Amino acid sequence: MERLTNSLRVRLTSVVLVIHAALVPLLYLGVSAIVEDGYAELFVNPLRSNSRLIADELEAADAQEFPRYAGALLDSVVLSGQVVFAEITDGAQTLHSSLSSVSPGRARGDDFEFADHGDQVYYISHRVKRGTRWVVLRLGFDEGPTLERIAAAKRRVLAAVLAFTAASIAVAIWLSAVIARPMVRLQEAAKRVAGGDVHTELQMHSSIREVRELNHHLERMRQELVGTNDRLESEIRGREASEQKRLDLERRLLHRERIASIGTLAGGVAHEFNNILTPILLYSQIALDDTAPDGALARDLTRIVAAAHRARSLVNRILTFSREMHSQEPAVFSLRPTVEEALALMRAIVPANIEVDFDASEDGTAVQGDPSLVHQVVINLCTNAYQAMRRTGGRLSVKLRGIDNPGDGQINPGSYALLEVGDTGHGMEQAVILHIFEPFFTTRDVGEGTGLGLSVVHGIVTSMGGSITVESAVGQGTTFRVYLPAAAAQVCERSGALG
Amino acid sequence: MASILVVDDEPEVGEAIRRVLARAGFLVAVANSAEDGLRRMDEQRPDIVITDVIMPKVHGLELITMLLSRHPRVRIIAISGGGSFGPLAYKPDAISTHAYLAAAREAGAQELLTKPFDMSDLLAAVRKLLPN
Repeated sequence: MERLTNSLRVRLTSVVLVIHAALVPLLYLGVSAIVEDGYAELFVNPLRSNSRLIADELEAADAQEFPRYAGALLDSVVLSGQVVFAEITDGAQTLHSSLSSVSPGRARGDDFEFADHGDQVYYISHRVKRGTRWVVLRLGFDEGPTLERIAAAKRRVLAAVLAFTAASIAVAIWLSAVIARPMVRLQEAAKRVAGGDVHTELQMHSSIREVRELNHHLERMRQELVGTNDRLESEIRGREASEQKRLDLERRLLHRERIASIGTLAGGVAHEFNNILTPILLYSQIALDDTAPDGALARDLTRIVAAAHRARSLVNRILTFSREMHSQEPAVFSLRPTVEEALALMRAIVPANIEVDFDASEDGTAVQGDPSLVHQVVINLCTNAYQAMRRTGGRLSVKLRGIDNPGDGQINPGSYALLEVGDTGHGMEQAVILHIFEPFFTTRDVGEGTGLGLSVVHGIVTSMGGSITVESAVGQGTTFRVYLPAAAAQVCERSGALG
Repeated sequence: MASILVVDDEPEVGEAIRRVLARAGFLVAVANSAEDGLRRMDEQRPDIVITDVIMPKVHGLELITMLLSRHPRVRIIAISGGGSFGPLAYKPDAISTHAYLAAAREAGAQELLTKPFDMSDLLAAVRKLLPN
């Protein structure tokens, strides 16, 4: 920025200086010559006519009186002041004014050069007729005052030329500053824009029209840049959002597919298992029947039967999971009676140190799906909640209400029936929360749970077009929120179709 | 003495059922496919048929329909271990044991048993279907 100012100023000033260095001596010399010539003519012309007059007077003089008259005339001429030298030469005889301040020896011949010889005297000669002969009148005039005036005039010219040069340089400096200032601002603005700050207005106020126009055009360019920037930014944001949405959808779809394929696999395994368990159970029961009831063999066989029964109940749970991974005949139903029924079951199971609350509003809680699946969701969530509080006791609170979700990132916008199942149990760590909806993931001891409960819940909820979220804090408890799309519209359609 | 035909594509299952019923004093024959079951049915004319639902080629539901069309007086117990495969055309979405058995009941089975069942449940079902 400093360098720009300097270079611009220096350049403009040096250009002005070079021009002046070339022109000023010429100007000075030219003007001086004119002044000198003018003064010389002013000085010389009257002297010529004056000396002519004197020569005429001498010619008119009486021949007898001539020497005396000429002497008196020369003296009077010298006395008048302007003439510093006067003589008349008649052949070999020279008559010289006794009052001349210039000595006769220094007088020269017919010399009309002004300011010559350095004696500051200007000589004029006239040939004057005296009878039949010619005499020569020579007069010397004082050049001093005129020379002084010329010198003074030259000094004034020099002063004027120097003043003009100084003024030009000052103007050059001022002009460069006027031009440089907006350029410096422009440079700063360009630097800002390049640095990413496109939102500051360009302000190059200047009296120079071109600079104002430049500012106007650059400002329009900047505004266009801001507009383009904003458009690009919002486009990028939009793309990021839709990409996020797509990824989200893909993830959910993948999860569903995984659950469904696991369901199919589980169904196949369960079928085989049931076939294998049948002979185990029957043969061990036959053997038990054939054995004395109190012996060790009977005890062992009883254990085999019990193990087979446990295996049967495990396979049944896997089958239930498998079944629920496949879609059911959808129907519109109100959630409240289903949830109440499930809670009645839970109340029978949970110990006295766990309190069960139910808070429900009827509005907006009709959904489309299979009530038995929702029943299963409530049972699974409540079972988890109860198991989280089994040792410590606490409160199991279930809430049901209709909500309008404007879309908060996790849940798509729309009307939902919201089922909340909260406990005051041990809560979960973030690492656990990440996996809770995966099949066969369990934190319980071996044999206590299949690890299918929450993935069943997740599968059911997503198959109904809903979502499930979990909020948990270690030591404080966990709340699951199930959002099922409200089915009010479908209820109307159906009743309309029936009517 | 009542006679019983057991149809199951798993020989081990059929044999276990045969053992239980033979011990209880019934005359028991075992077939390992629906076709084999139909042939034995025509030969032996049993009082009761115990049939699996999910079997390759001809499945239990078809077998029940065919049996009843030929021998309307035969009594049928359907057994199933459920699962998600099999040539079941009936309610393809419903894959639970209960769904299979419900289909079997619709086809004409009087008693339904879920595999694996207890010996006592099997005997109780058989006795329920005998006239005296």
